[in-house]
Amino acid sequence: MNRGSKILNSKVAGYSSLITFAVLLIAWIAGFSSRLFAVIRFESIIHEFDPWFNYRATAYMVQHGWYKFLNWFDERAWYPLGRIVGGTVYPGLMITSGGIHYVLHILNIPVHIRDICVFLAPVFSGLTSISTYLLTKELWSPGAGLFAASFIAIVPGYISRSVAGSYDNEGIAIFALQFTYFLWVRSIKTGSVFWSAGAAISYFYMVSAWGGYVFIINLIPLHVFVLLIMGRYSPRLLTSYSTFYILGLLFSMQIPFVGFQPIRTSEHMAAMGVFVLLMAVATLRHLQTVLSRNEFKKLFIVGGLLAAVVVFVAVVVLTMMGVVAPWSGRFYSLWDTGYAKIHIPIIASVSEHQPTTWFSFFFDLHILVCAFPVGLWYCVKQVNDERVFVILYAISAVYFAGVMVRLMLTLTPVVCMLAGVAFSGLLDVFLQEDSSKRLANTVNSVQEIDDQEESLERKSLYDKAGKLRHRTKHDSTHENGISSNLKSIVILAVLMILMMFAVHCTWVTSNAYSSPSIVLAFHNSQDGSRNILDDFREAYYWLSQNTADDARIMSWWDYGYQIAGMANRTTLVDNNTWNNSHIALVGKAMSSTEEKSYEIMTSLDVDYVLVIFGGVIGYSGDDINKFLWMVRIAEGEHPKDIKESDFFTDRGEFRVDAEGAPALLNCLMYKLSYYRFGELKLDYRGPSGYDRTRNAVIGNKDFELTYLEEAYTTEHWLVRIYRVKKPFEFNRPSLKAKDRLIPPTNFISRKNLKRRKGLIRNRPIVVKGKRTLK
Amino acid sequence: MKLLHKTFLCALIALVGCLIFVAAQGKQQKTGLSLSEKVQNLVDMNMKKPLLRFNGPKFREYVKNTPRNYSMIVMLTALAPSRQCQICRHAHDEFSIVANSYRFSPIYSNKLFFAMVDFDDGSDVFQMLRLNTAPVFMHFPAKGKPKGADTMDIHRVGFAADSIAKFVAERTDITIRIFRPPNYSGTVAMITLVALVGSFLYIRRNNLEFLYNKNLWGAVALFFCFAMISGQMWNHIRGPPLVHKTQNGGVAYIHGSSQGQLVVETYIVMFLNAMIVLGMILLIESGTPKAHNRNRMMAMAGLVLLTVFFSFLLSVFRSKAQGYPYSFLFK
Repeated sequence: MNRGSKILNSKVAGYSSLITFAVLLIAWIAGFSSRLFAVIRFESIIHEFDPWFNYRATAYMVQHGWYKFLNWFDERAWYPLGRIVGGTVYPGLMITSGGIHYVLHILNIPVHIRDICVFLAPVFSGLTSISTYLLTKELWSPGAGLFAASFIAIVPGYISRSVAGSYDNEGIAIFALQFTYFLWVRSIKTGSVFWSAGAAISYFYMVSAWGGYVFIINLIPLHVFVLLIMGRYSPRLLTSYSTFYILGLLFSMQIPFVGFQPIRTSEHMAAMGVFVLLMAVATLRHLQTVLSRNEFKKLFIVGGLLAAVVVFVAVVVLTMMGVVAPWSGRFYSLWDTGYAKIHIPIIASVSEHQPTTWFSFFFDLHILVCAFPVGLWYCVKQVNDERVFVILYAISAVYFAGVMVRLMLTLTPVVCMLAGVAFSGLLDVFLQEDSSKRLANTVNSVQEIDDQEESLERKSLYDKAGKLRHRTKHDSTHENGISSNLKSIVILAVLMILMMFAVHCTWVTSNAYSSPSIVLAFHNSQDGSRNILDDFREAYYWLSQNTADDARIMSWWDYGYQIAGMANRTTLVDNNTWNNSHIALVGKAMSSTEEKSYEIMTSLDVDYVLVIFGGVIGYSGDDINKFLWMVRIAEGEHPKDIKESDFFTDRGEFRVDAEGAPALLNCLMYKLSYYRFGELKLDYRGPSGYDRTRNAVIGNKDFELTYLEEAYTTEHWLVRIYRVKKPFEFNRPSLKAKDRLIPPTNFISRKNLKRRKGLIRNRPIVVKGKRTLK
Repeated sequence: MKLLHKTFLCALIALVGCLIFVAAQGKQQKTGLSLSEKVQNLVDMNMKKPLLRFNGPKFREYVKNTPRNYSMIVMLTALAPSRQCQICRHAHDEFSIVANSYRFSPIYSNKLFFAMVDFDDGSDVFQMLRLNTAPVFMHFPAKGKPKGADTMDIHRVGFAADSIAKFVAERTDITIRIFRPPNYSGTVAMITLVALVGSFLYIRRNNLEFLYNKNLWGAVALFFCFAMISGQMWNHIRGPPLVHKTQNGGVAYIHGSSQGQLVVETYIVMFLNAMIVLGMILLIESGTPKAHNRNRMMAMAGLVLLTVFFSFLLSVFRSKAQGYPYSFLFK
């Protein structure tokens, strides 16, 4: 480790780097293994929705090669539009796992690409904790860095997006984010082109991996801007920012999905503006050395005014001409917090775009959320160039996390860093042997902290040893007036709290974030056994085996990626919600009557309809509970045909029982969910047709489907698949083969041999072929 | 003299007759305005005010009585301060925005009018429509009587101007584009703030040391963090109630489920967080070389603050999370 300057003798150096190595290794192992709950409980599968697309794309890339992947036009999605996958994904994730796959196969290690995808995020969590260590070390001290590394390895706010099987962009993007920030802080400190070019390359990786790169390209310019305001301009700043900005701009435009956005959208304009400003400041600084004071003053005023006017006019004109696109809706909703709710139902409908309660903060971060303001306080108190960065990072990230629960992910690293600062400061004070070593970053105290850190990692196994060791030090002097008893009590309390943090993290990970959501598990209350519901995969497998290869399957967009990934069939809409009107069309089909929706379905060539129904087992995430969003999205595009108010009762309730609104009881989604459900008795005493999710007896029990027929229903009725009939099947009711036989009857024909033919007496004899002459 | 008397009497009679006639004529006019007159009157009234204010007779005349060829959107409300109807005031503002947007839009015509009836002007209207709540938005179609769907369901859709416009569009097929008068209050507040700060800086221009006061900046940053991590942004977006009333008449300060929170609850959490932070800062500060006694006090105080308030926070958390097994110091 690069700590040579601080080290007094080589023995201590050896110990401290050994401890650093050991802590980071243990953090990696702990982080990796605490993400494996889902794999151990279920199996090594891809989770949820988006990861299925990433997996499918990765598998495609591994199979067909990189260039085929870039040019991939996926005709199995968004039927009949299709999707240009290569140009609409962030390919970093696929390249990473594809690269690992490639290397392993060169080494003759035959690993299936699925296993790489499953374990990618847990492996990267170790890299994240290392880069967090590096960044915190740059900002504060190695001890704080080790704390931060161990925190981020197990904190639930990050685990929520990086459990094994959750194969998503965020899993690798947080590593890229932290590493970019580390290189940036390094380059600010050293002013070397090497480090800032490294930051630009790391930024390139981040751009290729996640749309959240916008956070970097706004935070770093903000840092530069604030440094300029604070009068902390230095040539180092100029070198590092101009290198980073120019290289980063060029690199980021290499990603097909990003393209020309960095010079054409408002999200990236701040970076450009700061670049221009920095150049202006540098020029002025230079002129100041050349010109006389009076000349400089005149130039400063005139030039400053002129530049401001020119820049302002240029931005306004470009925006009005449409060269620079205004803020996109998703970003705009971060500032105007009521925007999405009114204007973009498709964004508002996603649960992770909701604001965050204090409960979620505490749930995801536990003691860290209370401790990080302490670190922030000390960063403000002992501010320098790079701590300005972490202050800005903390403030902006905490704001974004407050607005959107999903952005808790960007808050988590900085919280870990600042909480590391706080705890290492605390233990610096209370693990001090004597005052002669009370320099902030003495190696010895670092060592002590490291030991504590290990004991934390091993979940208090070493707690006792730690205590014992401090008892041996009791006879040492206590200069700052705190008795050794008090010291050990404080240390005990802090260790208890940190231990609770570790236990909390494990509990949260195990209970909240380790469900694959494809396979459901529930505990039987009688005998405590665990039952597995595998209905989703059952249905998708049925689809892949029993339908035509080009069958088109209509479902709500949540299930698009899974159908494509597991059943390999064509879908109409999927989780890449790029085309709102197409989704609205599907929503309209779901919320219209059977007859009307048949028109829509035939116009879209739908062969099968798939609905998720949780009424039998009490699964709350089913389509009826999502139904109002379908109505809302459909109403946004077709306000004449679909009205949300029709689906409520007169008292404004959404209910599925007999008092429910007639429009609801007759819409396609209702019929498909509850078809033949009225005949089902779930237990002996209860009424038939009792919906366990909504705790009601359904209102429309006895109905037949005209335009669709039930094709498959899974074991627990969780997934129901219907086939859309062809027009001839219901226009002229066809007889089934067995009905076509004439049924045997008792009727005996009276036509015996004699009277086989009917006779007509005195029948005139007609001579054929001759015309009577006149 | 007699002649004069007679003439005077005649004149008087004539005058009285005239008066009676005029009065009778007036009455006749009042009972039976023709359709065109009604529309003309409405348009004239609308020239002065976009939102017509009716009392009982006027309501009967223009809204209740046939013939009509125009739709009416009527807000029945109680604006008098003595009625203590807070939301009526908001509803009135929103309704006026809709009426104004319609009045000054290109689609303005004599097919649709906006009107309001205050309870204190026309309580008979409320009796006639059998209403006992306010505000109520009703649509009176050009033909026939209002049906169930002609009353806007403000419990579900609210009474924001946009939802009123949507309701109008649903009932009458006239789509009003809402034009809100730009809200300058935010701008004014901003300018005032900037001016205040600017003048403050100007007055203190010789002594700008406080800008370099790190304690001040630290306190501002910490306050912002506390506001965010205690969920003030959630409060801002969702607008939860201050406290809950429980069934047995008590007051709940903590929302029972993990999905929601109450305003008081967030303040409690903010306070708890601040105390924990204070405790940790005291603990760390106790390491700086100062008087011995003081350091010990600081360390003790910090320890107590940290442990007690953290366990308190944990128990609040526990009460919200079902099945959370861990607690510290006390349940």
